[in-house]
Amino acid sequence: MATTTTVKDIPVAKKRAQGLSVTTRAITNSSTPLSVACFYGLLILLILAPIYPVMAQANFQALMNSSVMSAVLGGHLTNLFNFSALLAVEVFSSIYGLLFGGFVAWIGGAALPITIEDGTLDLALSRPISRTRYYLESWLAVLIGAVIISLVLALGVWIDTFIVNNSGVDWPWMWITLLVQWTFLFFAAGLGMLCGSFINASRAAGGTALGIVVLGYLINTFGGLSNQFQWVLKISPFYYAPAIDPLINHHLTWWYPWVLVVAGLVCGIVGLVVFNRRDLPTV
Amino acid sequence: MTTNEPVIIIDNLHKTYGKIQAVKGISINVERGEIFGFLGPNGAGKTTTIRCMLDVIRPTAGTIRVLGLDAQRDTMALHQHIGYLPGDVRLPGRMTGKQIINYFVNLQGREPVLLNDLVERFDVEIKRPLKGYSKGMRQKIGIVLAFMCDPDVLILDEPTSGLDPLLQKVFNEFLLEEQARGKTIFMSSHIMSDVEKVCQRVAVIRSGELVTLEEVGALREKAGQHIIVEFGDAVSEQELERISGVSLLTKTNGTYHFNISGSMDTLIKALSQHEVIRLTSQEAPLEEVFLKFYEEPEKTTPLA
Repeated sequence: MATTTTVKDIPVAKKRAQGLSVTTRAITNSSTPLSVACFYGLLILLILAPIYPVMAQANFQALMNSSVMSAVLGGHLTNLFNFSALLAVEVFSSIYGLLFGGFVAWIGGAALPITIEDGTLDLALSRPISRTRYYLESWLAVLIGAVIISLVLALGVWIDTFIVNNSGVDWPWMWITLLVQWTFLFFAAGLGMLCGSFINASRAAGGTALGIVVLGYLINTFGGLSNQFQWVLKISPFYYAPAIDPLINHHLTWWYPWVLVVAGLVCGIVGLVVFNRRDLPTV
Repeated sequence: MTTNEPVIIIDNLHKTYGKIQAVKGISINVERGEIFGFLGPNGAGKTTTIRCMLDVIRPTAGTIRVLGLDAQRDTMALHQHIGYLPGDVRLPGRMTGKQIINYFVNLQGREPVLLNDLVERFDVEIKRPLKGYSKGMRQKIGIVLAFMCDPDVLILDEPTSGLDPLLQKVFNEFLLEEQARGKTIFMSSHIMSDVEKVCQRVAVIRSGELVTLEEVGALREKAGQHIIVEFGDAVSEQELERISGVSLLTKTNGTYHFNISGSMDTLIKALSQHEVIRLTSQEAPLEEVFLKFYEEPEKTTPLA
Protein backbone atom coordinates (compact mmCIF):
# COMPACT_ATOMS: atom_id res chain seq x y z
CA MET A 1 0.00 0.00 0.00
CA ALA A 2 2.60 2.47 -1.05
CA THR A 3 0.17 4.55 -3.07
CA THR A 4 -0.60 8.00 -1.74
CA THR A 5 -4.27 8.88 -1.81
CA THR A 6 -6.05 12.19 -1.75
CA VAL A 7 -9.53 12.86 -0.46
CA LYS A 8 -11.68 14.74 -2.97
CA ASP A 9 -14.51 17.08 -2.12
CA ILE A 10 -17.53 15.31 -3.59
CA PRO A 11 -21.07 16.65 -3.12
CA VAL A 12 -23.62 14.48 -1.35
CA ALA A 13 -25.75 12.53 -3.84
CA LYS A 14 -29.19 14.16 -3.81
CA LYS A 15 -32.33 12.05 -4.03
CA ARG A 16 -34.28 11.91 -7.27
CA ALA A 17 -37.54 10.28 -8.33
CA GLN A 18 -37.30 6.66 -9.42
CA GLY A 19 -40.34 6.88 -11.71
CA LEU A 20 -41.58 3.78 -13.49
CA SER A 21 -38.14 2.85 -14.78
CA VAL A 22 -38.73 -0.90 -14.69
CA THR A 23 -42.03 -0.53 -16.57
CA THR A 24 -40.44 1.60 -19.26
CA ARG A 25 -37.56 -0.84 -19.57
CA ALA A 26 -39.92 -3.84 -19.74
CA ILE A 27 -42.00 -2.21 -22.50
CA THR A 28 -38.80 -1.58 -24.46
CA ASN A 29 -37.75 -5.21 -23.91
CA SER A 30 -41.07 -6.44 -25.29
CA SER A 31 -41.15 -4.03 -28.22
CA THR A 32 -40.48 -6.71 -30.85
CA PRO A 33 -43.32 -9.16 -30.01
CA LEU A 34 -45.58 -6.21 -29.24
CA SER A 35 -44.88 -4.65 -32.64
CA VAL A 36 -45.44 -7.98 -34.38
CA ALA A 37 -48.81 -8.45 -32.62
CA CYS A 38 -49.90 -4.93 -33.58
CA PHE A 39 -48.68 -5.41 -37.15
CA TYR A 40 -50.62 -8.67 -37.59
CA GLY A 41 -53.74 -7.17 -36.04
CA LEU A 42 -53.65 -4.13 -38.31
CA LEU A 43 -52.75 -6.21 -41.35
CA ILE A 44 -55.68 -8.59 -40.87
CA LEU A 45 -58.12 -5.75 -40.23
CA LEU A 46 -56.94 -3.66 -43.16
CA ILE A 47 -57.18 -6.63 -45.51
CA LEU A 48 -60.76 -7.32 -44.37
CA ALA A 49 -62.12 -4.02 -45.66
CA PRO A 50 -61.19 -4.50 -49.34
CA ILE A 51 -62.23 -8.16 -49.40
CA TYR A 52 -65.54 -7.56 -47.63
CA PRO A 53 -67.64 -6.88 -50.77
CA VAL A 54 -66.57 -10.21 -52.28
CA MET A 55 -67.04 -12.10 -49.01
CA ALA A 56 -70.51 -10.60 -48.55
CA GLN A 57 -71.61 -11.95 -51.92
CA ALA A 58 -70.35 -15.48 -51.29
CA ASN A 59 -72.64 -17.98 -49.66
CA PHE A 60 -71.03 -19.27 -46.51
CA GLN A 61 -74.31 -20.29 -44.89
CA ALA A 62 -73.49 -23.99 -44.74
CA LEU A 63 -70.06 -23.25 -43.33
CA MET A 64 -71.42 -20.86 -40.72
CA ASN A 65 -74.05 -23.32 -39.60
CA SER A 66 -71.54 -26.11 -39.06
CA SER A 67 -70.69 -27.03 -35.50
CA VAL A 68 -67.01 -27.30 -36.47
CA MET A 69 -66.91 -23.64 -37.49
CA SER A 70 -68.70 -22.65 -34.29
CA ALA A 71 -66.18 -24.64 -32.29
CA VAL A 72 -63.23 -23.07 -34.10
CA LEU A 73 -64.61 -19.56 -33.64
CA GLY A 74 -65.90 -20.16 -30.14
CA GLY A 75 -69.40 -18.91 -31.02
CA HIS A 76 -72.25 -19.38 -33.45
CA LEU A 77 -72.70 -17.04 -36.43
CA THR A 78 -75.82 -17.22 -38.55
CA ASN A 79 -74.69 -15.17 -41.53
CA LEU A 80 -71.81 -13.23 -43.04
CA PHE A 81 -73.91 -10.48 -44.54
CA ASN A 82 -72.53 -7.57 -42.58
CA PHE A 83 -69.08 -6.26 -41.87
CA SER A 84 -69.30 -6.88 -38.11
CA ALA A 85 -69.86 -10.57 -38.83
CA LEU A 86 -66.74 -10.66 -40.98
CA LEU A 87 -64.80 -8.92 -38.20
CA ALA A 88 -66.14 -11.53 -35.79
CA VAL A 89 -65.02 -14.43 -37.97
CA GLU A 90 -61.57 -13.12 -38.76
CA VAL A 91 -60.56 -11.30 -35.58
CA PHE A 92 -63.12 -11.03 -32.78
CA SER A 93 -63.64 -14.72 -32.09
CA SER A 94 -61.54 -17.26 -30.21
CA ILE A 95 -58.84 -16.40 -32.74
CA TYR A 96 -58.39 -13.11 -30.87
CA GLY A 97 -57.48 -14.89 -27.66
CA LEU A 98 -55.31 -17.39 -29.45
CA LEU A 99 -53.33 -14.82 -31.43
CA PHE A 100 -53.19 -11.75 -29.24
CA GLY A 101 -53.60 -13.66 -25.95
CA GLY A 102 -50.70 -15.80 -27.12
CA PHE A 103 -48.54 -12.75 -27.78
CA VAL A 104 -49.39 -11.24 -24.39
CA ALA A 105 -48.75 -14.57 -22.61
CA TRP A 106 -45.36 -14.77 -24.33
CA ILE A 107 -44.49 -11.18 -23.42
CA GLY A 108 -45.59 -11.76 -19.82
CA GLY A 109 -43.66 -15.01 -19.56
CA ALA A 110 -40.47 -13.41 -20.87
CA ALA A 111 -40.76 -10.15 -18.90
CA LEU A 112 -38.79 -11.31 -15.83
CA PRO A 113 -36.49 -14.03 -17.26
CA ILE A 114 -35.23 -11.71 -20.00
CA THR A 115 -33.73 -9.52 -17.26
CA ILE A 116 -32.03 -12.58 -15.78
CA GLU A 117 -30.57 -13.31 -19.21
CA ASP A 118 -29.36 -9.78 -19.88
CA GLY A 119 -27.86 -9.49 -16.40
CA THR A 120 -29.90 -6.48 -15.26
CA LEU A 121 -32.05 -8.23 -12.62
CA ASP A 122 -29.19 -8.68 -10.11
CA LEU A 123 -28.03 -5.13 -10.66
CA ALA A 124 -31.56 -3.74 -10.37
CA LEU A 125 -32.35 -5.61 -7.17
CA SER A 126 -29.11 -4.40 -5.59
CA ARG A 127 -30.71 -0.93 -5.86
CA PRO A 128 -33.36 0.32 -3.43
CA ILE A 129 -36.19 -1.35 -5.29
CA SER A 130 -38.13 -4.24 -3.81
CA ARG A 131 -38.84 -7.46 -5.63
CA THR A 132 -42.57 -6.71 -5.26
CA ARG A 133 -42.21 -3.38 -7.00
CA TYR A 134 -39.99 -4.87 -9.69
CA TYR A 135 -42.56 -7.59 -10.35
CA LEU A 136 -45.56 -5.24 -10.31
CA GLU A 137 -43.86 -2.76 -12.65
CA SER A 138 -43.04 -5.61 -15.05
CA TRP A 139 -46.65 -6.80 -14.88
CA LEU A 140 -47.85 -3.25 -15.52
CA ALA A 141 -45.67 -3.14 -18.64
CA VAL A 142 -47.33 -6.30 -19.96
CA LEU A 143 -50.78 -4.87 -19.26
CA ILE A 144 -49.86 -1.64 -21.03
CA GLY A 145 -48.75 -3.80 -23.96
CA ALA A 146 -52.20 -5.43 -23.91
CA VAL A 147 -53.86 -2.00 -23.94
CA ILE A 148 -51.71 -0.96 -26.90
CA ILE A 149 -52.76 -4.09 -28.84
CA SER A 150 -56.45 -3.40 -28.09
CA LEU A 151 -56.15 0.23 -29.14
CA VAL A 152 -54.33 -0.67 -32.35
CA LEU A 153 -57.15 -3.11 -33.18
CA ALA A 154 -59.72 -0.43 -32.45
CA LEU A 155 -57.78 1.87 -34.77
CA GLY A 156 -57.83 -0.82 -37.47
CA VAL A 157 -61.60 -1.21 -37.20
CA TRP A 158 -62.00 2.57 -37.27
CA ILE A 159 -59.94 2.82 -40.47
CA ASP A 160 -62.03 -0.02 -41.94
CA THR A 161 -65.21 1.98 -41.39
CA PHE A 162 -63.90 4.59 -43.84
CA ILE A 163 -63.18 1.96 -46.47
CA VAL A 164 -66.37 -0.11 -46.11
CA ASN A 165 -69.58 1.68 -47.06
CA ASN A 166 -72.25 1.33 -44.40
CA SER A 167 -70.04 -0.91 -42.29
CA GLY A 168 -72.70 -1.00 -39.60
CA VAL A 169 -70.14 -1.33 -36.79
CA ASP A 170 -71.92 -0.65 -33.49
CA TRP A 171 -69.19 1.24 -31.63
CA PRO A 172 -70.54 0.93 -28.07
CA TRP A 173 -70.69 -2.84 -28.52
CA MET A 174 -67.33 -2.82 -30.30
CA TRP A 175 -65.75 -1.19 -27.22
CA ILE A 176 -67.52 -3.70 -24.97
CA THR A 177 -66.13 -6.52 -27.14
CA LEU A 178 -62.64 -5.03 -26.98
CA LEU A 179 -62.98 -4.70 -23.21
CA VAL A 180 -64.11 -8.31 -22.86
CA GLN A 181 -61.21 -9.42 -25.02
CA TRP A 182 -58.87 -7.25 -22.97
CA THR A 183 -59.88 -9.26 -19.89
CA PHE A 184 -58.60 -12.29 -21.77
CA LEU A 185 -55.33 -10.44 -22.37
CA PHE A 186 -55.32 -9.57 -18.65
CA PHE A 187 -55.59 -13.26 -17.86
CA ALA A 188 -52.83 -14.08 -20.36
CA ALA A 189 -50.59 -11.41 -18.78
CA GLY A 190 -51.11 -12.89 -15.29
CA LEU A 191 -50.47 -16.39 -16.62
CA GLY A 192 -47.27 -15.21 -18.31
CA MET A 193 -46.05 -13.49 -15.15
CA LEU A 194 -46.69 -16.67 -13.19
CA CYS A 195 -44.62 -18.73 -15.64
CA GLY A 196 -41.86 -16.11 -15.66
CA SER A 197 -41.71 -16.05 -11.87
CA PHE A 198 -40.19 -19.52 -11.64
CA ILE A 199 -38.74 -20.26 -15.11
CA ASN A 200 -35.32 -18.72 -15.72
CA ALA A 201 -35.19 -18.75 -19.53
CA SER A 202 -37.35 -16.20 -21.35
CA ARG A 203 -38.17 -18.48 -24.28
CA ALA A 204 -39.10 -21.36 -21.98
CA ALA A 205 -41.29 -19.14 -19.80
CA GLY A 206 -42.95 -17.38 -22.75
CA GLY A 207 -43.37 -20.70 -24.54
CA THR A 208 -44.97 -22.34 -21.50
CA ALA A 209 -47.47 -19.50 -21.10
CA LEU A 210 -48.24 -19.57 -24.83
CA GLY A 211 -48.62 -23.35 -24.67
CA ILE A 212 -51.22 -23.04 -21.92
CA VAL A 213 -53.17 -20.52 -24.02
CA VAL A 214 -53.05 -22.88 -27.02
CA LEU A 215 -54.17 -25.75 -24.78
CA GLY A 216 -57.11 -23.62 -23.63
CA TYR A 217 -58.01 -22.95 -27.25
CA LEU A 218 -57.89 -26.66 -28.11
CA ILE A 219 -60.09 -27.49 -25.13
CA ASN A 220 -62.53 -24.81 -26.26
CA THR A 221 -62.52 -26.11 -29.83
CA PHE A 222 -62.90 -29.81 -29.02
CA GLY A 223 -65.43 -29.06 -26.28
CA GLY A 224 -67.57 -27.26 -28.83
CA LEU A 225 -67.57 -30.16 -31.29
CA SER A 226 -69.92 -32.35 -29.34
CA ASN A 227 -72.61 -31.89 -26.73
CA GLN A 228 -71.01 -34.65 -24.71
CA PHE A 229 -67.93 -32.53 -24.14
CA GLN A 230 -69.73 -29.27 -23.35
CA TRP A 231 -68.60 -29.42 -19.74
CA VAL A 232 -64.97 -29.23 -20.86
CA LEU A 233 -65.61 -25.75 -22.22
CA LYS A 234 -65.91 -24.34 -18.74
CA ILE A 235 -62.30 -25.08 -17.88
CA SER A 236 -61.07 -23.14 -20.90
CA PRO A 237 -60.43 -19.41 -20.48
CA PHE A 238 -61.78 -18.86 -24.00
CA TYR A 239 -65.26 -19.79 -22.78
CA TYR A 240 -65.29 -16.67 -20.60
CA ALA A 241 -64.24 -14.26 -23.36
CA PRO A 242 -67.04 -14.47 -25.91
CA ALA A 243 -66.48 -11.95 -28.70
CA ILE A 244 -69.12 -12.98 -31.19
CA ASP A 245 -71.95 -12.64 -28.68
CA PRO A 246 -71.41 -8.98 -27.77
CA LEU A 247 -70.28 -7.90 -31.25
CA ILE A 248 -73.02 -9.59 -33.28
CA ASN A 249 -75.81 -10.48 -30.88
CA HIS A 250 -75.27 -7.50 -28.55
CA HIS A 251 -75.44 -9.79 -25.58
CA LEU A 252 -72.97 -10.45 -22.78
CA THR A 253 -73.08 -12.64 -19.69
CA TRP A 254 -71.76 -9.97 -17.36
CA TRP A 255 -69.80 -12.18 -14.99
CA TYR A 256 -67.82 -14.08 -17.64
CA PRO A 257 -65.08 -11.42 -18.00
CA TRP A 258 -64.76 -11.26 -14.23
CA VAL A 259 -63.75 -14.93 -14.21
CA LEU A 260 -60.80 -13.99 -16.41
CA VAL A 261 -59.96 -10.95 -14.29
CA VAL A 262 -59.96 -13.06 -11.12
CA ALA A 263 -57.98 -15.86 -12.80
CA GLY A 264 -55.44 -13.34 -14.10
CA LEU A 265 -55.14 -11.75 -10.67
CA VAL A 266 -54.71 -15.13 -8.96
CA CYS A 267 -51.99 -16.15 -11.45
CA GLY A 268 -50.23 -12.81 -11.10
CA ILE A 269 -50.36 -12.79 -7.31
CA VAL A 270 -49.14 -16.41 -7.05
CA GLY A 271 -46.31 -15.41 -9.39
CA LEU A 272 -45.51 -12.45 -7.14
CA VAL A 273 -45.31 -14.71 -4.07
CA VAL A 274 -43.06 -17.17 -5.94
CA PHE A 275 -40.81 -14.38 -7.24
CA ASN A 276 -40.50 -12.91 -3.76
CA ARG A 277 -39.56 -16.20 -2.14
CA ARG A 278 -37.21 -17.76 -4.62
CA ASP A 279 -33.45 -17.54 -5.06
CA LEU A 280 -32.72 -15.63 -8.22
CA PRO A 281 -30.19 -17.21 -10.55
CA THR A 282 -27.35 -15.81 -12.58
CA VAL A 283 -26.79 -16.92 -16.14
CA MET B 1 -25.61 1.22 14.19
CA THR B 2 -22.97 2.45 16.61
CA THR B 3 -19.76 3.81 15.12
CA ASN B 4 -17.73 0.98 16.67
CA GLU B 5 -19.89 -1.76 15.22
CA PRO B 6 -18.44 -3.49 12.15
CA VAL B 7 -20.04 -2.32 8.91
CA ILE B 8 -20.54 -5.87 7.63
CA ILE B 9 -21.36 -8.71 10.03
CA ILE B 10 -21.82 -12.14 8.48
CA ASP B 11 -22.80 -14.52 11.25
CA ASN B 12 -22.78 -18.30 10.79
CA LEU B 13 -24.01 -18.10 7.20
CA HIS B 14 -25.24 -21.33 5.66
CA LYS B 15 -26.59 -21.78 2.15
CA THR B 16 -27.82 -25.08 0.80
CA TYR B 17 -28.98 -25.90 -2.73
CA GLY B 18 -30.83 -29.19 -2.40
CA LYS B 19 -28.19 -31.60 -1.09
CA ILE B 20 -25.29 -29.30 -1.91
CA GLN B 21 -23.97 -27.14 0.91
CA ALA B 22 -22.57 -24.10 -0.89
CA VAL B 23 -21.71 -22.15 2.26
CA LYS B 24 -21.09 -23.82 5.61
CA GLY B 25 -21.22 -21.51 8.59
CA ILE B 26 -19.15 -18.53 7.49
CA SER B 27 -18.66 -15.70 10.00
CA ILE B 28 -16.89 -12.49 8.96
CA ASN B 29 -16.80 -8.93 10.31
CA VAL B 30 -15.65 -6.03 8.15
CA GLU B 31 -14.74 -2.75 9.82
CA ARG B 32 -15.65 0.73 8.63
CA GLY B 33 -13.23 2.09 6.06
CA GLU B 34 -11.67 -1.30 5.43
CA ILE B 35 -10.91 -2.97 2.11
CA PHE B 36 -11.60 -6.62 2.77
CA GLY B 37 -10.48 -9.36 0.41
CA PHE B 38 -12.60 -12.45 -0.03
CA LEU B 39 -10.66 -15.19 -1.75
CA GLY B 40 -11.20 -18.75 -2.78
CA PRO B 41 -11.09 -21.08 -5.76
CA ASN B 42 -13.96 -21.29 -8.25
CA GLY B 43 -17.08 -22.78 -6.68
CA ALA B 44 -15.86 -22.08 -3.14
CA GLY B 45 -18.97 -20.07 -2.23
CA LYS B 46 -17.74 -16.49 -2.70
CA THR B 47 -20.46 -15.38 -5.12
CA THR B 48 -23.11 -17.22 -3.11
CA THR B 49 -22.06 -15.28 -0.01
CA ILE B 50 -22.10 -11.99 -1.93
CA ARG B 51 -25.53 -12.71 -3.42
CA CYS B 52 -26.84 -13.50 0.07
CA MET B 53 -25.55 -10.09 1.19
CA LEU B 54 -27.65 -8.50 -1.57
CA ASP B 55 -30.74 -10.63 -0.79
CA VAL B 56 -30.76 -11.97 -4.34
CA ILE B 57 -30.58 -15.39 -2.74
CA ARG B 58 -31.71 -16.23 0.78
CA PRO B 59 -29.49 -17.88 3.39
CA THR B 60 -30.55 -21.28 4.71
CA ALA B 61 -29.35 -20.19 8.16
CA GLY B 62 -27.39 -17.36 9.71
CA THR B 63 -27.67 -13.60 9.45
CA ILE B 64 -26.02 -10.79 7.52
CA ARG B 65 -26.03 -7.24 8.81
CA VAL B 66 -24.66 -4.34 6.82
CA LEU B 67 -24.54 -0.83 8.30
CA GLY B 68 -26.62 -2.18 11.18
CA LEU B 69 -29.40 -3.26 8.82
CA ASP B 70 -30.53 -6.82 8.25
CA ALA B 71 -29.68 -7.82 4.67
CA GLN B 72 -32.91 -9.79 4.33
CA ARG B 73 -35.42 -7.71 6.27
CA ASP B 74 -34.21 -4.14 5.64
CA THR B 75 -33.35 -4.57 1.97
CA MET B 76 -34.76 -1.28 0.72
CA ALA B 77 -33.08 0.87 3.37
CA LEU B 78 -29.81 -1.01 3.03
CA HIS B 79 -29.62 -0.90 -0.75
CA GLN B 80 -29.65 2.89 -0.68
CA HIS B 81 -26.12 2.67 0.68
CA ILE B 82 -24.71 -0.20 -1.38
CA GLY B 83 -22.87 -0.34 -4.67
CA TYR B 84 -22.58 -3.74 -6.32
CA LEU B 85 -20.39 -5.03 -9.10
CA PRO B 86 -21.27 -8.58 -10.23
CA GLY B 87 -18.63 -11.12 -11.17
CA ASP B 88 -19.75 -11.38 -14.75
CA VAL B 89 -21.05 -8.03 -15.96
CA ARG B 90 -23.74 -8.79 -18.55
CA LEU B 91 -25.64 -5.91 -20.08
CA PRO B 92 -28.49 -5.68 -22.62
CA GLY B 93 -26.94 -5.32 -26.06
CA ARG B 94 -29.59 -3.01 -27.48
CA MET B 95 -28.96 -0.25 -24.94
CA THR B 96 -26.11 2.22 -25.04
CA GLY B 97 -23.84 2.79 -22.07
CA LYS B 98 -25.60 6.10 -21.40
CA GLN B 99 -29.03 4.48 -21.41
CA ILE B 100 -28.02 1.73 -18.99
CA ILE B 101 -26.40 4.30 -16.70
CA ASN B 102 -29.58 6.42 -16.73
CA TYR B 103 -31.69 3.34 -16.00
CA PHE B 104 -29.69 2.43 -12.92
CA VAL B 105 -29.43 6.06 -11.76
CA ASN B 106 -33.23 6.16 -11.82
CA LEU B 107 -33.47 2.88 -9.90
CA GLN B 108 -30.95 4.14 -7.33
CA GLY B 109 -33.02 7.30 -6.88
CA ARG B 110 -29.88 9.39 -6.32
CA GLU B 111 -27.81 11.76 -8.40
CA PRO B 112 -24.69 10.14 -9.91
CA VAL B 113 -22.19 12.51 -8.32
CA LEU B 114 -19.16 10.44 -9.34
CA LEU B 115 -20.30 9.66 -12.88
CA ASN B 116 -18.20 12.18 -14.81
CA ASP B 117 -15.10 11.43 -12.78
CA LEU B 118 -15.49 7.67 -13.32
CA VAL B 119 -16.17 7.98 -17.05
CA GLU B 120 -13.10 10.14 -17.46
CA ARG B 121 -10.83 8.13 -15.18
CA PHE B 122 -11.66 4.73 -16.68
CA ASP B 123 -12.10 6.09 -20.21
CA VAL B 124 -15.57 4.57 -20.51
CA GLU B 125 -17.32 4.53 -23.87
CA ILE B 126 -20.99 5.33 -23.20
CA LYS B 127 -22.40 6.34 -26.58
CA ARG B 128 -22.20 3.02 -28.43
CA PRO B 129 -24.72 0.16 -28.08
CA LEU B 130 -23.48 -2.34 -25.49
CA LYS B 131 -23.75 -5.20 -27.98
CA GLY B 132 -20.23 -4.68 -29.32
CA TYR B 133 -18.58 -4.20 -25.93
CA SER B 134 -15.65 -6.40 -24.94
CA LYS B 135 -15.45 -8.02 -21.49
CA GLY B 136 -13.18 -5.20 -20.29
CA MET B 137 -15.51 -2.48 -21.60
CA ARG B 138 -18.49 -4.11 -19.88
CA GLN B 139 -16.46 -4.34 -16.69
CA LYS B 140 -15.75 -0.61 -16.87
CA ILE B 141 -19.47 0.12 -17.21
CA GLY B 142 -20.05 -2.20 -14.23
CA ILE B 143 -17.54 -0.21 -12.18
CA VAL B 144 -19.30 3.04 -13.13
CA LEU B 145 -22.70 1.56 -12.14
CA ALA B 146 -21.36 0.40 -8.78
CA PHE B 147 -19.64 3.64 -7.75
CA MET B 148 -21.50 6.46 -9.54
CA CYS B 149 -24.00 7.29 -6.77
CA ASP B 150 -21.25 7.35 -4.14
CA PRO B 151 -22.46 4.48 -1.91
CA ASP B 152 -21.07 3.90 1.58
CA VAL B 153 -20.45 0.18 1.11
CA LEU B 154 -19.12 -1.45 -2.04
CA ILE B 155 -19.60 -5.14 -2.72
CA LEU B 156 -17.39 -6.12 -5.61
CA ASP B 157 -17.20 -9.58 -7.14
CA GLU B 158 -13.88 -9.88 -8.97
CA PRO B 159 -13.76 -6.19 -9.87
CA THR B 160 -10.60 -6.19 -12.03
CA SER B 161 -11.60 -9.20 -14.10
CA GLY B 162 -11.13 -8.31 -17.76
CA LEU B 163 -9.30 -5.03 -17.11
CA ASP B 164 -5.86 -4.47 -18.62
CA PRO B 165 -2.92 -4.01 -16.20
CA LEU B 166 -2.99 -0.23 -16.58
CA LEU B 167 -6.67 -0.03 -15.68
CA GLN B 168 -6.15 -2.51 -12.83
CA LYS B 169 -3.64 -0.04 -11.42
CA VAL B 170 -6.06 2.87 -11.93
CA PHE B 171 -8.79 0.86 -10.24
CA ASN B 172 -6.61 -0.06 -7.26
CA GLU B 173 -5.68 3.61 -6.81
CA PHE B 174 -9.35 4.53 -7.02
CA LEU B 175 -10.20 1.94 -4.35
CA LEU B 176 -7.62 3.43 -2.01
CA GLU B 177 -9.06 6.90 -2.63
CA GLU B 178 -12.52 5.61 -1.81
CA GLN B 179 -11.18 4.00 1.34
CA ALA B 180 -9.62 7.33 2.33
CA ARG B 181 -13.10 8.84 1.96
CA GLY B 182 -14.39 6.35 4.53
CA LYS B 183 -15.96 3.82 2.19
CA THR B 184 -16.04 0.17 3.18
CA ILE B 185 -15.17 -2.27 0.42
CA PHE B 186 -15.81 -6.01 0.36
CA MET B 187 -14.24 -7.59 -2.69
CA SER B 188 -13.68 -11.06 -3.99
CA SER B 189 -10.77 -11.57 -6.33
CA HIS B 190 -8.56 -14.11 -8.01
CA ILE B 191 -5.81 -11.59 -8.61
CA MET B 192 -3.55 -12.01 -5.60
CA SER B 193 -1.37 -9.02 -6.43
CA ASP B 194 -4.44 -6.74 -6.31
CA VAL B 195 -5.48 -8.15 -2.96
CA GLU B 196 -1.97 -7.72 -1.66
CA LYS B 197 -1.89 -4.08 -2.77
CA VAL B 198 -5.24 -2.83 -1.50
CA CYS B 199 -6.67 -5.14 1.17
CA GLN B 200 -6.03 -4.83 4.89
CA ARG B 201 -7.50 -8.23 5.73
CA VAL B 202 -8.42 -11.28 3.73
CA ALA B 203 -10.63 -14.29 4.25
CA VAL B 204 -10.02 -17.46 2.28
CA ILE B 205 -13.00 -19.70 1.65
CA ARG B 206 -12.80 -23.23 0.28
CA SER B 207 -15.67 -25.66 -0.32
CA GLY B 208 -18.00 -23.27 1.51
CA GLU B 209 -15.85 -23.13 4.63
CA LEU B 210 -13.68 -20.34 5.95
CA VAL B 211 -10.10 -21.61 6.05
CA THR B 212 -8.40 -18.44 7.19
CA LEU B 213 -9.15 -14.82 8.06
CA GLU B 214 -6.04 -12.75 8.62
CA GLU B 215 -4.40 -9.42 8.12
CA VAL B 216 -2.38 -9.21 4.93
CA GLY B 217 0.67 -8.26 7.01
CA ALA B 218 0.36 -11.43 9.09
CA LEU B 219 0.03 -13.51 5.95
CA ARG B 220 3.15 -11.86 4.58
CA GLU B 221 5.00 -12.88 7.71
CA LYS B 222 3.67 -16.38 7.31
CA ALA B 223 4.89 -16.43 3.74
CA GLY B 224 8.40 -15.66 5.07
CA GLN B 225 11.36 -15.64 2.71
CA HIS B 226 11.88 -17.34 -0.59
CA ILE B 227 15.32 -18.98 -0.62
CA ILE B 228 17.34 -20.10 -3.62
CA VAL B 229 20.46 -22.07 -2.74
CA GLU B 230 23.05 -23.87 -4.84
CA PHE B 231 25.38 -26.34 -3.13
CA GLY B 232 28.87 -27.42 -4.07
CA ASP B 233 28.38 -30.82 -2.43
CA ALA B 234 25.55 -33.36 -2.35
CA VAL B 235 22.58 -32.37 -0.17
CA SER B 236 19.42 -34.47 0.03
CA GLU B 237 15.93 -33.00 -0.14
CA GLN B 238 15.05 -34.81 3.08
CA GLU B 239 17.77 -32.94 4.93
CA LEU B 240 16.37 -29.58 3.85
CA GLU B 241 12.79 -30.59 4.54
CA ARG B 242 13.75 -31.41 8.12
CA ILE B 243 14.70 -27.75 8.75
CA SER B 244 12.06 -25.99 10.80
CA GLY B 245 9.81 -23.63 8.73
CA VAL B 246 10.81 -24.92 5.30
CA SER B 247 7.98 -25.40 2.81
CA LEU B 248 7.31 -25.66 -0.93
CA LEU B 249 10.72 -27.24 -1.58
CA THR B 250 11.64 -27.84 -5.21
CA LYS B 251 14.89 -28.70 -7.01
CA THR B 252 15.67 -27.26 -10.44
CA ASN B 253 18.97 -27.86 -12.26
CA GLY B 254 20.74 -28.67 -9.02
CA THR B 255 19.43 -25.54 -7.29
CA TYR B 256 17.00 -25.74 -4.39
CA HIS B 257 14.05 -23.32 -4.13
CA PHE B 258 11.98 -23.15 -0.94
CA ASN B 259 10.14 -20.84 1.42
CA ILE B 260 11.09 -20.43 5.04
CA SER B 261 8.95 -18.85 7.73
CA GLY B 262 10.08 -17.80 11.19
CA SER B 263 13.71 -17.59 12.28
CA MET B 264 16.48 -18.07 9.71
CA ASP B 265 18.93 -19.23 12.39
CA THR B 266 18.26 -22.97 12.00
CA LEU B 267 18.54 -22.67 8.23
CA ILE B 268 21.86 -20.84 8.34
CA LYS B 269 23.30 -23.36 10.79
CA ALA B 270 22.14 -26.24 8.58
CA LEU B 271 23.56 -24.66 5.41
CA SER B 272 26.90 -24.01 7.10
CA GLN B 273 27.47 -27.78 7.17
CA HIS B 274 27.75 -27.72 3.37
CA GLU B 275 29.56 -25.88 0.61
CA VAL B 276 27.19 -23.09 -0.49
CA ILE B 277 27.95 -21.68 -3.96
CA ARG B 278 25.03 -19.26 -4.18
CA LEU B 279 22.39 -18.12 -1.70
CA THR B 280 19.53 -15.73 -2.50
CA SER B 281 16.80 -14.62 -0.12
CA GLN B 282 13.77 -12.53 -1.06
CA GLU B 283 10.27 -11.85 0.31
CA ALA B 284 8.03 -14.75 -0.66
CA PRO B 285 5.02 -13.78 -2.80
CA LEU B 286 1.70 -13.93 -0.96
CA GLU B 287 0.28 -15.82 -3.88
CA GLU B 288 1.99 -18.96 -2.66
CA VAL B 289 0.32 -18.64 0.73
CA PHE B 290 -3.07 -18.20 -0.87
CA LEU B 291 -2.51 -21.09 -3.19
CA LYS B 292 -1.57 -23.23 -0.22
CA PHE B 293 -5.00 -22.52 1.25
CA TYR B 294 -6.60 -23.23 -2.12
CA GLU B 295 -4.82 -26.47 -2.84
CA GLU B 296 -4.15 -28.34 0.36
CA PRO B 297 -7.43 -29.15 2.06
CA GLU B 298 -5.92 -31.94 4.17
CA LYS B 299 -3.25 -29.67 5.70
CA THR B 300 -5.43 -26.69 6.61
CA THR B 301 -8.18 -26.95 9.16
CA PRO B 302 -11.25 -24.78 8.52
CA LEU B 303 -11.92 -22.14 11.14
CA ALA B 304 -14.84 -22.84 13.43
